[in-house]
Amino acid sequence: MTFQDMIMTLDRFWASRGCVIAQPHDTEVGAGTFYPTTFLRALGPQPWRVAGVAPSRRPADGRYGDNPYRFQYYYQYQVVLKPSPADVQEQYLASLRELGIDPLAHDLRFVEDNWESPTLGAWGLGWEVWLDGMEITQFTYFQQVGGQDCRPVSVELTYGLERLAMYLQGVEHAFDVVVTPGTTIGDLRRDFERQHCRYNFELADTELQRLLFDRFEAEALRLLEADVVHPAYEFVLRSSHAFNLLDARGVLSHTERQAYVQRVRRLAEASARGYLRLIEPGEPSGPSEPPEAAGSAEAVA
Amino acid sequence: MPRLLFEIGTEELPAWYVAPAAAALAEGLTARLAELRLTHGAVRSFATPRRLAVVVEDVAPHSERRMEVRRGPAAAAAFDADGKPTRAATGFAASAGVRPDDLEVEETPKGRYVVARREVGGEDAAELLPEALAALVAGLPAPRKMRWGEVDTAFVRPVSWLTALWDDRVLPVRAAGLEAGRATRGHRFLHPDPVELDDAGQYEDALLAADVVADRAARAEAVRAAVTEAAASEGGLADAAEALIEEIVDLVERPFALLGAIDEAFLELPDEVLTTVMIHHQRFVPVRDAEGRLLPRFVAVANHRVPDEALVRGGYERVLAGRLHDARFFWQADRRKSLAQHAWSLSGIGFQKELGSMADKVTRVGVGAFAVAGLLGVPDTEKHTLERALPLFRADLASEMVGELPELEGTMARAYATADGLPAEVAVALEDGVLPRGPHDQLPATRVGAVLAVSDRLDKLLGFFSLGKRPTGSADPFALRRDAVAVARVLSAQGWRVALDDLVAAVAAGYQGGPVAVGPQTVDEVVAFVWDRVAALLAEEGLTTPTVRAAVLGSRAVIGAARRGHLLRALAGLPAFAEMLALYKRAANLAERAPRGVEVDPKLFAEPIEAELFAALPASRAGVERLLEAMHVQLPAWDLGTGATGGIVGLDALAAEVLQLKAPLDAFLDGVMVMVEDEAVRANRLALLAAVAATPCALGALEHLSG
Repeated sequence: MTFQDMIMTLDRFWASRGCVIAQPHDTEVGAGTFYPTTFLRALGPQPWRVAGVAPSRRPADGRYGDNPYRFQYYYQYQVVLKPSPADVQEQYLASLRELGIDPLAHDLRFVEDNWESPTLGAWGLGWEVWLDGMEITQFTYFQQVGGQDCRPVSVELTYGLERLAMYLQGVEHAFDVVVTPGTTIGDLRRDFERQHCRYNFELADTELQRLLFDRFEAEALRLLEADVVHPAYEFVLRSSHAFNLLDARGVLSHTERQAYVQRVRRLAEASARGYLRLIEPGEPSGPSEPPEAAGSAEAVA
Repeated sequence: MPRLLFEIGTEELPAWYVAPAAAALAEGLTARLAELRLTHGAVRSFATPRRLAVVVEDVAPHSERRMEVRRGPAAAAAFDADGKPTRAATGFAASAGVRPDDLEVEETPKGRYVVARREVGGEDAAELLPEALAALVAGLPAPRKMRWGEVDTAFVRPVSWLTALWDDRVLPVRAAGLEAGRATRGHRFLHPDPVELDDAGQYEDALLAADVVADRAARAEAVRAAVTEAAASEGGLADAAEALIEEIVDLVERPFALLGAIDEAFLELPDEVLTTVMIHHQRFVPVRDAEGRLLPRFVAVANHRVPDEALVRGGYERVLAGRLHDARFFWQADRRKSLAQHAWSLSGIGFQKELGSMADKVTRVGVGAFAVAGLLGVPDTEKHTLERALPLFRADLASEMVGELPELEGTMARAYATADGLPAEVAVALEDGVLPRGPHDQLPATRVGAVLAVSDRLDKLLGFFSLGKRPTGSADPFALRRDAVAVARVLSAQGWRVALDDLVAAVAAGYQGGPVAVGPQTVDEVVAFVWDRVAALLAEEGLTTPTVRAAVLGSRAVIGAARRGHLLRALAGLPAFAEMLALYKRAANLAERAPRGVEVDPKLFAEPIEAELFAALPASRAGVERLLEAMHVQLPAWDLGTGATGGIVGLDALAAEVLQLKAPLDAFLDGVMVMVEDEAVRANRLALLAAVAATPCALGALEHLSG
């Protein structure tokens, strides 16, 4: 199965389960959890189902393309189901079967993972899903987001697409994953990865990033004052990315780092409060019932 | 009598929670049965990652019948002149559930009162149990619970099903948004369909047939056997720490072990890096050869017998290689700087807000460590090692590897120091200085390392105590008790015959001109805090509370107290010891009136027996000294809490030397009047008794012992 077939398979699978298939957001994020379609929509009472590829950037995770598993830019496949369905583990396993992963042939495990994002003021409990010892998915029941209790509780499934593809295609390095016959991830991203690693670790102008952080933060606060949560939240994302770059450059002392984390967190929490103030209770924000097609994938499995 | 089965089926529980939760469920149910007065037989608990269950044999079908007596109003107020019950009496009868006619009058010490007697109990157990079982689900203790969906119950992970059987009947338990049924579930993949139980007694076998080993002990046995066998298949020995096995047991329902291989090139990484990555990240078991050398192999335990082992093994191998690749990346990245350069970064790592950075802390520890070394009189060669180690102490905190794998702190300092070409004794001291990392971890092997370890922990205790952040009750957010235990263990294992209070005062010197003032009061508090841990560790070794108290008050050095504890325990087994105690106590009682500062003056002796007793003193004192010397020589220093090894040879004879005082003292007490008119003679005799009483004092605070 090619990389893009995997994505389309997951899109179709989750669409059949009533999810909105969202296209990637266009601001840098460290993980799909930062997406407004996750972070903001996990708040409040309205049911919500969304799935889709979430390209993510974690400057500190880059390895110049040397490590087969770690990159500063990679794809997550992000699913959020609110409220979390009682059979969500079965739904997830059905999605793996769609990808050609038969749990009986493998050692598939749900291993405790307590997720916490200090910058988002968010935490949840769940698992890492291990496929023959490899973490392929993070599975989290959100308990708090932006400092707010989640009621009802959303479940977030985050598939590591490159890892899954490596496994399915039997290749040793993410760059060798075939996207479509004749083209690999390496063809698309090798230079991009190396150059960004040089930027993140060696070249990024740290004074500029400090300045940007301050300005993004001020802008976010100003916009929150004006009750425009969506633009404000994008500046939260930008400030978070500036912080990630500073962190990757290794110029933050322990205390300084803590201070930055607190600043991003304050912005995220303010955004969450602002969002909750703005949404009318009962305002329809997404499909509440999955369409009839739900369950068909189960039949295939 | 009926058998009760209750199972809480869950999504995968955290491995560490499975065993304690199963125990809590069994305890909780046993307690509820007692409250409901339902007698029962054996209670068996079952636990896997997906279920917590309990089976209770022979539960009484009805609660115990018993007489309930309630006292009501005074008889005078309960009946009117005609002997008819008043409103007070009828009201009481109604509330007690009896007819007014059935009220009785009873004589009590306070007068005549109305009482209601009623037989209670006999309720149908099947009626009582559903509510009790439901309460267990909501009330099961857990450090951190979660919610899911729109369910209003919190549990450690979502509850997926409930099974409640009373022999063959389903008990209608409603909890966590579910209703209990007769179906349990088998292995998630091997047996996905519900497993219907006709009877509670089928539970264990039905699950076994559905590929779930629900008996945790049996599963643990299976894991151990499978791991050992897999390692042996290529002639290796599984290096399976108990904690790792226990975790694996609660990650699987049907264990199946596989042997995998590592690229030999990764063996260039330090041993501990390899094993930590295997264990910490993958829960793989390292494999060693007969000499203890790491082999390029590992054992993984899968959740079921996989059809194509090569496929799964290949997966394990690839992911481990990826992790090791990363570890090597950290190793190489860290190696781009020397350990000394990493130490520069310590100023950017906070220790505790009011106590400065790690760099500040290490500077203080350096001052303290030299003071400690001075107290110990360590030779110049070791001082030189200390001097070289100090600027690098804890520098690995700034390394990438320790950032990623914190449990490698110290180990990486040693590895990086070695790679930097530093002398072995410096490298070893750096690792020793952070030991022990936990209550059962190894202790520093070298004296320099021990000096660092003790100074580092005492610096922390002094700093936090001076900020008023001492532990209260069970709350110990800064893990200060762990530090005090570490100090006690290191001091005992090193066998340093140095006063604890001197050591703490020496380390306090590091705070001179520092961020907080550490006064004598803080020093005293820290000293007392460490002594508490010494006492607790000695109690763990099986010493009685009076013995521990006598020992701890008997020496200012930790090893002195520890050895005295074991000496006193050994002495307690001798008949002569009881005599010694009695002797000591007689003399001590009388000597209480001895004026202070009076020396025994032989010129004032009036009776020959006084001179005889006085003459016996030196030999007795020498006996005590010999006994203590034998104790120090014959009880080798040990890790406090694990128990002393060895005993004292010739204890009887040594004790007899101390007892030489007995005959003259007996004669003195029988024949000499102490409280005579002549003040000088009286004072002299009291001083003589005080000297006698003080003779065995060096053995410990004997007044705490009974005898």
